[in-house]
Amino acid sequence: MTDTITAPTIEYLLLSPLLVVFGAAIVGVLVEAFAPRYLRAAFQVPLTLLSLVAAFALVIFVVVKDGVPNKAAAMGAVAADGPALFIWGTILLLAFVSVLLIGDDFVPSAVAVPGSVEEERAVSEGAAHTEVYPLVLFAVGGMLLFAASNDLLVMFVALEVMSLPLYMLCGLARRRRLLSQEAAMKYFLLGAFSSAFFLYGTALLYGYAGSIDLSKISTSLSSVGGQDSLLFIGAAVLGVGLFFKIGAVPFQMWKPDVYQGAPTPITALMASGTLVAAFGALLRVFWVALGNLEWDWSPVVWAVAILTMVVGAILAITQTDIKRMLAYSSIAHAGFILTAVVATAGAKQNSLALSGILFYLVAYGLTTVGAFGVVTMVRDPGGEAWHLSRWAGLGKRSPKLAMVLAFFLLAMAGIPLTSGFFAKYAVFSAAVSGGAVALVVVGVVASAIAAFFYVRVIVLMFFSDPAADGPSIVMPIATRGVVGFAALATVVLGVFPQPVLDLASKAAQSLFVR
Amino acid sequence: MGETFVFWVLAVVSVIAALGLVFSRKAVYSALMLGVVMLSLAVLYAVQDAPFLAVVQIIVYTGAVMMLFLFVLMMVGVDSSDSLVETIKGQRFWAVLAGLGFAVLLALGIGNAFIGPAKGLAAYPQNVPSLAELIFTRHVFAFEVTSALLITAALGAVVLAHRERLTPKLTQRDLARQRFKEFARTGRNPAPLPGPGTYARHNAIDKPALLPDGSIAAQSVNRYVARYEKAEGTLPPEVAQALESDSEALELEKE
Amino acid sequence: MTTHYLVLSALLFAIGGVGVLVRRNAIVVFMCVELMLNACNLAFVTFARQHGNLDGQVIAFFVMIVAAAEVVVGLAIIVTIFRTRRSASVDDANLLKY
Repeated sequence: MTDTITAPTIEYLLLSPLLVVFGAAIVGVLVEAFAPRYLRAAFQVPLTLLSLVAAFALVIFVVVKDGVPNKAAAMGAVAADGPALFIWGTILLLAFVSVLLIGDDFVPSAVAVPGSVEEERAVSEGAAHTEVYPLVLFAVGGMLLFAASNDLLVMFVALEVMSLPLYMLCGLARRRRLLSQEAAMKYFLLGAFSSAFFLYGTALLYGYAGSIDLSKISTSLSSVGGQDSLLFIGAAVLGVGLFFKIGAVPFQMWKPDVYQGAPTPITALMASGTLVAAFGALLRVFWVALGNLEWDWSPVVWAVAILTMVVGAILAITQTDIKRMLAYSSIAHAGFILTAVVATAGAKQNSLALSGILFYLVAYGLTTVGAFGVVTMVRDPGGEAWHLSRWAGLGKRSPKLAMVLAFFLLAMAGIPLTSGFFAKYAVFSAAVSGGAVALVVVGVVASAIAAFFYVRVIVLMFFSDPAADGPSIVMPIATRGVVGFAALATVVLGVFPQPVLDLASKAAQSLFVR
Repeated sequence: MGETFVFWVLAVVSVIAALGLVFSRKAVYSALMLGVVMLSLAVLYAVQDAPFLAVVQIIVYTGAVMMLFLFVLMMVGVDSSDSLVETIKGQRFWAVLAGLGFAVLLALGIGNAFIGPAKGLAAYPQNVPSLAELIFTRHVFAFEVTSALLITAALGAVVLAHRERLTPKLTQRDLARQRFKEFARTGRNPAPLPGPGTYARHNAIDKPALLPDGSIAAQSVNRYVARYEKAEGTLPPEVAQALESDSEALELEKE
Repeated sequence: MTTHYLVLSALLFAIGGVGVLVRRNAIVVFMCVELMLNACNLAFVTFARQHGNLDGQVIAFFVMIVAAAEVVVGLAIIVTIFRTRRSASVDDANLLKY
């Protein structure tokens, strides 16, 4: 080829939040390589937190300086548009509080067999895997990119960048290591399986449209004829991959196992950040690439939303483990958000639904991080007290903590004066105006079923007698700060939601770039 | 015509190999079958104007990925074959049924799509430079991001498989010091055990070394052989005598 | 001819999917996932020729990179769990239940 290649243009400022996170992760790897063992944590923790703060500040700076960009960046690979920037801010905030939760949750030496002499030695030597911080940063970088990818190739790569560190982090819990390793294996095998589906869907859509750009797929919908089967099978298979990531029924089976086995700060990160990122990607695929196909996919998403809400809420009732219960509640919440995903019509209706989803993601993310923060505080001798019977009478032993948890649970149930109420109101009202009244009815019923279970936990905590050998409460200062912040955010968003609602609707106004 | 022939041969080979991957009970056979599928696909890529991918497929997949699989198989459970016990009743039946249904759906769906004649890649006479141009312009961001993936993989291998040394490694000097401390405490000989020596007539493991006076150096008697010979009743009497007279050797035997 | 290739890729993908569901050994399950990824690559290469643009080949190239990284992580996880349990069967991983 004789002609020269023109250098690609990359909007470095616009992409700087992403670059800062990835850059900090690489610096973290270098710290692992060169810093002595006793200094590593002292480097890694501030580095991770500072990079997340810097990235958050850069998101705000970009918006203030240039406004919301209206075309894709990096040669059309990344769409840093209004919703993407809002989601970036949300993910960075949630990642920041999740990282603060990291205390003594990680295994000192992942190689040592659980219960072996070698492990005891590693504990007594004070060994620690500070590699978790760069891994978390890589996962966060993947989340940011996943929600902002403008073609299916970048989306696939981002999906893997997000997932691979999470697979490993799941297996590194300090206590109950067998459970943790099992969770890692399940998550990995099922995750790889689902990403194969995602990829096959990508292949068929590429075969249909001749391009992997979301916007070009969208324009090809009206111009290509005679290949509808490629399009429909492709969209369905791609949807399987995405539904797996948000944990929608019938692809929810990994969620309780993985949430239970993973170290609790990582569970918090997955329950908040991954969910947000996956919804960002899901919306982009269904609204941008397949937007003109809405009549065909919306019945399917309807069915998935109904199943997800009902199954999530009903199975939550049968749980006796607090982490599994929160996992099922996360499944049900994914269903609530899906009700707004199908509520599409014109541009105005779409931006209404989108702003509802964005608000829901912020509110739910903060509440769930707070709830998992409380889980890390209640300890038995063998680790966190997961079984609900151990939580009986917590309200008498530690009234403040029990009240905070009760408050989070009420927020998840959607009681007024909590952020959950306005979040549910936002998505349900968008769904009603989008014509999905039946879905909203199911949603309200599912909320009521879920509320029953949340209230049962609250009753258990306040109205039963504490056991004599009840769990002790461990309150590291950072965790206390996280839980306090999450509680505050839940109150503020429940009483004065307007600023965040405005921000969300401003971000949603221009919709996704095409 | 040539392409059709190649396709049919390799299609049959790769489907049979894929079935072999799923249904052979020995994991190593499965791995080899996967290798066959990958090689056939490499040829199919070459036939379809993708010489670069054909080479990368052979180097990366059959070369690196398959070797890693085989390596781990050898390490982890080469002799384990799958149990045929079904943990979920009827799961295997339903899985095969669902797979068949899915295959039929995909094949019919794709077969029914009206796909015109292929445009071909005549517009890109040079495969590698054209691919390079795309990778480093349009897809440059994805390319950069894959570096994060590779670093994650390396870091993951370090976390999950690298054993960090918690105690300093013992040097020759430390080991010598340890041996002499042991000597001071228990009187255990700090020197290496005697070899066959100058007066030895044999260099075999069952022949003890001789001391300058022609007697047997008790420490050089191979305990395992001696125990075996004792049980057989073929232990030479001079060796038995040497063993009995040497209390230190007996003590060592007990340890 | 394109259709032939696509049907072959669909068959390989479905066979890989069945393998994931019926096999017990985690490593073999993972090999079946690799088979599915290979089937995707065949579809990409075929469509690249069909449409006369190289995007499909570029994606196949990226898939190979991703698969290589995924194999490292996956096998590392499987080896860790094997070291603890001396078993690579997914049936033995049954502590997490409903």
